Amino acid sequence: MATFNMKILCTTLSKLSVNRVTIRQNAYYKPPKYRPPHWFMPKERVMSEDMLTQENRDFIEEIKQEKLNSQSALESPLANVDQQTVKWNYYTRRVGLIARKIGNYPLWSKDGKKFQTTLLQVVDNHVIKYIPPEEFNPMRTKKICWKEKRTLGCLLVGSETVDPSTVTKDYCGIFNSVGMLPKRFLFRFMVSRNAALPTGTPLFATHFRVGDYVDVRAKTIDRGFQGVMKRWGFSGMPASHGVTKTHRRPGNIGAGGEKARVWPGTKMPGHMGNRWRTLRGVKILRINTQHNILWMLGVGIPGETGAVCYLYDTVLPLKKLKVAPPFPTHPASHDLPLEYYDESIHPFEEQTIMFDEA
Amino acid sequence: MALVIRKPAIDILSAAKWMIRKDCRALSSLVEKAEEAEKRPVGRRPRFQNPALEYRHIFPEFLPDPNPKWRNSLREKMERADMLKRRSQIDIPEFYVGSVLAVTISDPHAQGKTNRFVGICIERKGCGLRAEFTLRNVVDHQGVEIRYDLYDPTIQSIQVLRLEKRLDDKLLYLRDALPEYSTFPFDMDPEILPEGTPVPVNPVQVKLKPRPWLERWERQELKGVSNIEEHLKEKDRIRRELRKTPWEKYDLMKEYRKTIPVEDQSEIWGEVHNQLNQLRLSRKKMFKKRPISTPKPQLG
Repeated sequence: MATFNMKILCTTLSKLSVNRVTIRQNAYYKPPKYRPPHWFMPKERVMSEDMLTQENRDFIEEIKQEKLNSQSALESPLANVDQQTVKWNYYTRRVGLIARKIGNYPLWSKDGKKFQTTLLQVVDNHVIKYIPPEEFNPMRTKKICWKEKRTLGCLLVGSETVDPSTVTKDYCGIFNSVGMLPKRFLFRFMVSRNAALPTGTPLFATHFRVGDYVDVRAKTIDRGFQGVMKRWGFSGMPASHGVTKTHRRPGNIGAGGEKARVWPGTKMPGHMGNRWRTLRGVKILRINTQHNILWMLGVGIPGETGAVCYLYDTVLPLKKLKVAPPFPTHPASHDLPLEYYDESIHPFEEQTIMFDEA
Repeated sequence: MALVIRKPAIDILSAAKWMIRKDCRALSSLVEKAEEAEKRPVGRRPRFQNPALEYRHIFPEFLPDPNPKWRNSLREKMERADMLKRRSQIDIPEFYVGSVLAVTISDPHAQGKTNRFVGICIERKGCGLRAEFTLRNVVDHQGVEIRYDLYDPTIQSIQVLRLEKRLDDKLLYLRDALPEYSTFPFDMDPEILPEGTPVPVNPVQVKLKPRPWLERWERQELKGVSNIEEHLKEKDRIRRELRKTPWEKYDLMKEYRKTIPVEDQSEIWGEVHNQLNQLRLSRKKMFKKRPISTPKPQLG
């Protein structure tokens, strides 16, 4: 008996090591599935009256301008990277872009057909940081096999420079540590090892080419709490013929007997929209190099006008890139043509479409 | 009894007076608008601070959709640039709802690969490159309507055969009117207005066919229909009264939401004013050169 007690004592004592302090004794406790990455910092700052004198205000303004100018004068570090050493192949993953949806309008094809397009503007995109695959250590969960993804590094890209005084110190620190000004949007792209880019590389709309297919990830329009007709497209019930009080209701939501309960996943009223959705295989029809605008085919890109979306090279096997794109990205240059058109698209400045008699 | 009769008589009189006054006002306002629109082509310096504001009647599609959810200054700018590019290729003339147009388009399925259609413009809507208009005609006793995109690059030419306005903003009621009101010959000659005259308003009132109609025209306060009362029953009159919304014309907020503010407009017109003017001048030169060559095909 004594030895048995001794054993228990030993095991309990061994469990009491400093390394293994259990925080909770709750048997139902599960570690959180999501742990924010280290660059995920609170961004919004509570604005307060600083009681600054006009001189100080001017001084801050001056410094801001200085920083902005120095950043805009910064030469793209891509010029130093030897372009020949890095080669694109079918399996490399390039960096994407952060864009804003700015509206829709039609374009016409050369055979006179009308296509609705969505305009995406790539605003002020810069590479912030590259984390190589060895150092990139995201939260491990059981389901995802991270071993496979270890080959991909993490590239942080920011978009839309903001006034540093409007964001928190922590958020500013991410950018300060690499010598950039804070950006409104910061996003992570998983890239192949050879697609890594140095900090401060500007990304332009010419990163993609016309005729390429991209995947667009964005948040859908937030429609709030919606009924079953709008959310799931149910047909509702008749307006008359004795129907009372059930014109837009779902009706029956389950059977009896063994299944006498509401099955998980039953389509019911609830919150609709404001979810991340990816539209895959969207064709680029036209690119403006001055304002960095992309004309995408179709109106299915999620989100309202002004929504932020993320563009990637598509993963669809039939629409994937066949020939080498600008790799690792298109360098900054001033002698580009103003507009690129897909070969199927009729530019407005060209002559009226005429059909020849065959 | 006499009293009973007299009172309605007075009512009718006052109503008639009111009607006349209202008509006068409506007409005068229209004429004024037309004058405003017409003054600019002469090239005289307009009297307003931002002259190009008068363009809004001639080129309504240059103004963006006022819905704030869809507005974006850069997109609107790109759209306007594209519209001007298209306008440099084709002469899109000034026309209004009620004008008679001839539109020639390239059509891969037509004989000779072109298709010409003549008709009265019954509707004009849309902003930017989405602007569209609908032409209506009656061909072989069959009403035909074609909707064209104003900036469609397959349109070869848009010719105004008769430049005029009507009493209403939309002439959709021509669908229920007698066919002679929307019948126009395809070999119609263009009627040229002397330069500097205001766009005339055609005060014609059409006669509707008996019911059934496509819409409840009696509820829309149409000025261009003469015999609407003939086809109404007492029930319809009562419902029309019930459905009236006379307060809506005083709803300033509604008006504000439907329009683009003057500041925005002056910015837009300031941007496109020069190019539009240049296009117009170059067209005028072309037009002056043309008459020597054009009469021949007409004679033939």
